[in-house]
Amino acid sequence: MIEELRHKARELLEKGQVELVIGYGAGSDPTRTMPVFIRRPEDCDHLVWNKYCYNNLTSYLTWPELKTAGKRAVVCKGCDAKAIVVLCKENRIEREEVVVIGMSCEGVGEPLFGKCEFCDVRTPKTCDIQIGATLPPLSKDNLFEDVRQLEAGNAAERWEFWRRQFSRCIKCYACRQACPLCYCTQCIVERNQPQWIATSSHPKGNFAWNVVRALHLAGRCIGCGECERVCPSNIPLMLANKKLAQVVKEQFGYESGYDIDEPLPMASFMPDDSDELFK
Amino acid sequence: MAEFKLNEAKLDELVNALKSEGYRVVAPVEEEGVFVFKEVVDPGEMRLDVLRTARSIKEWFFPRVEPTLRYKFDRGSVTCKGEMPQSPPKTVIIGCRPCDSASLPILDKLFDWDFRDEYWFKRREATTVVAVACDAPDSYCFCTSVGGSPDGTAGSDLLMRKTVGGCYLFESFTKKGWSIIETAKGTLEPAGQNEKVLVGEVPKRFDLNSVKPWLDNNFDHDYWKEISYKCLSCGACAFVCPTCHCFDIQDEADLQGGVRLKGWDSCCLPIFTRHGSGYNPRDTRDARYRQRVMHKFTYYVDKFGLTACVGCGRCCVSCPIDMNICTVVAGAAELAETST
Repeated sequence: MIEELRHKARELLEKGQVELVIGYGAGSDPTRTMPVFIRRPEDCDHLVWNKYCYNNLTSYLTWPELKTAGKRAVVCKGCDAKAIVVLCKENRIEREEVVVIGMSCEGVGEPLFGKCEFCDVRTPKTCDIQIGATLPPLSKDNLFEDVRQLEAGNAAERWEFWRRQFSRCIKCYACRQACPLCYCTQCIVERNQPQWIATSSHPKGNFAWNVVRALHLAGRCIGCGECERVCPSNIPLMLANKKLAQVVKEQFGYESGYDIDEPLPMASFMPDDSDELFK
Repeated sequence: MAEFKLNEAKLDELVNALKSEGYRVVAPVEEEGVFVFKEVVDPGEMRLDVLRTARSIKEWFFPRVEPTLRYKFDRGSVTCKGEMPQSPPKTVIIGCRPCDSASLPILDKLFDWDFRDEYWFKRREATTVVAVACDAPDSYCFCTSVGGSPDGTAGSDLLMRKTVGGCYLFESFTKKGWSIIETAKGTLEPAGQNEKVLVGEVPKRFDLNSVKPWLDNNFDHDYWKEISYKCLSCGACAFVCPTCHCFDIQDEADLQGGVRLKGWDSCCLPIFTRHGSGYNPRDTRDARYRQRVMHKFTYYVDKFGLTACVGCGRCCVSCPIDMNICTVVAGAAELAETST
């Protein structure tokens, strides 16, 4: 697959179809990789593909300094490519300005990341060039099992669970910076006239930040899990994201990152929308 | 020279002896899959085998956030009251690595520069630091490149070195360190003449003497763009770092009054240098990352005569995109080599 990836990337640059290829390069040790931006065909040999290709590289697509870089190609796993759908729907990028190189993926991480056990996009759905054999989707039947487990407890237990988890937040905002859909030019925690939420790393501030982050991704999060992976404090952020994804699925029958033409659940109104949430 | 040793099996007894003498014992403890320095409740949870905790011991001296003053509004007037930390409890930190200890004298300089920061020094005075020498450093460690070593003693009151026979040799350097030995004497035994100590090796990756002049002369070098164009601009590196010390001041108030807080900040976050006018002198990723490197390897050296990096490798481990400051500085050293 690596050779095929390098070959396709080289071809895109040589033919002038893109100005820039965003991919994975070698990391500081064999169990890591590092994003690389490639502009010259001869540098395509720096591209790598392995089970340590964690990052969701679509985060780079909304960077202002890269918006002017011309047409870009981006190497994506199936989960990453779901962000392309949302970014297009939210008018952050034009579909035509990005060439998506979709990698067939049997999962990343060692041991395998939790998200990979329920992956239905092992062959990316949204891509222009597919690299690797088509892989059958895995069952998502148990996707929300961890949410169900948490909800088996009562409200006081859940409060205590999240209090303990969020107490470790150090407000480094790695979760935000790694997220392809956290693209706000001014995050709410950066607003101070007026200051809407407490920004310090105390219980109130940590709760405010983590709840705001999760809620702002309701109906949008595509489940790439980057927020959770990059958290230096190991906070189970995906658990909150998944709960919201579950609510959106149950209430609106919507799953984020699949259909580019389907209206956004949080930005559209249907007469038959459920009122359950407002009781 | 170490005079005493402790059998590994007696670590629990050591913790209990210190506790009964009134010490608050802080050590690496597992919390939901990460290792952090926490007050030890049950001696069995102390993990001296952990090479690198997620965060450093910094937060026991310089907390993530702390109040500095409180104020009240009262019909057009304001009353303010400064808030100093109450006398912190007598504390011993056991099981930090020599690199973490070494960060303390580095930060002493900063916190005693134009203003003596009692928030820092009150906790420093109340705290005894017991480091454990590294018998198994990993590929992220680079203490030897920044003047440290796996069994360095800077900043430690006492150093524990593991022996082949499953013991820890105790060597104290300060009165505070000696007090620990006195307190724990019942659990200790005399050390032999030829105890075989386990100390790992950390290869030297760059020479500080060649790095500094290159940094001084290459503020505008393309190198900064090359290495940092993909930086996500989060603050993970600074917040896990034992020597990063920049802080922000935040007011949290309502109609009755408020509190002024001092909390960690990071030069890699985009708004760190944004002015009230909206202008940001460091509005690009390379400018921000360069600041992180320059501050540690040249500005701090000019100001205080010390390098503000101890080679613990935490920033490298935590970086979402695998930026590695050791590789970056080694790269600068290489450029220095080729340019002469």
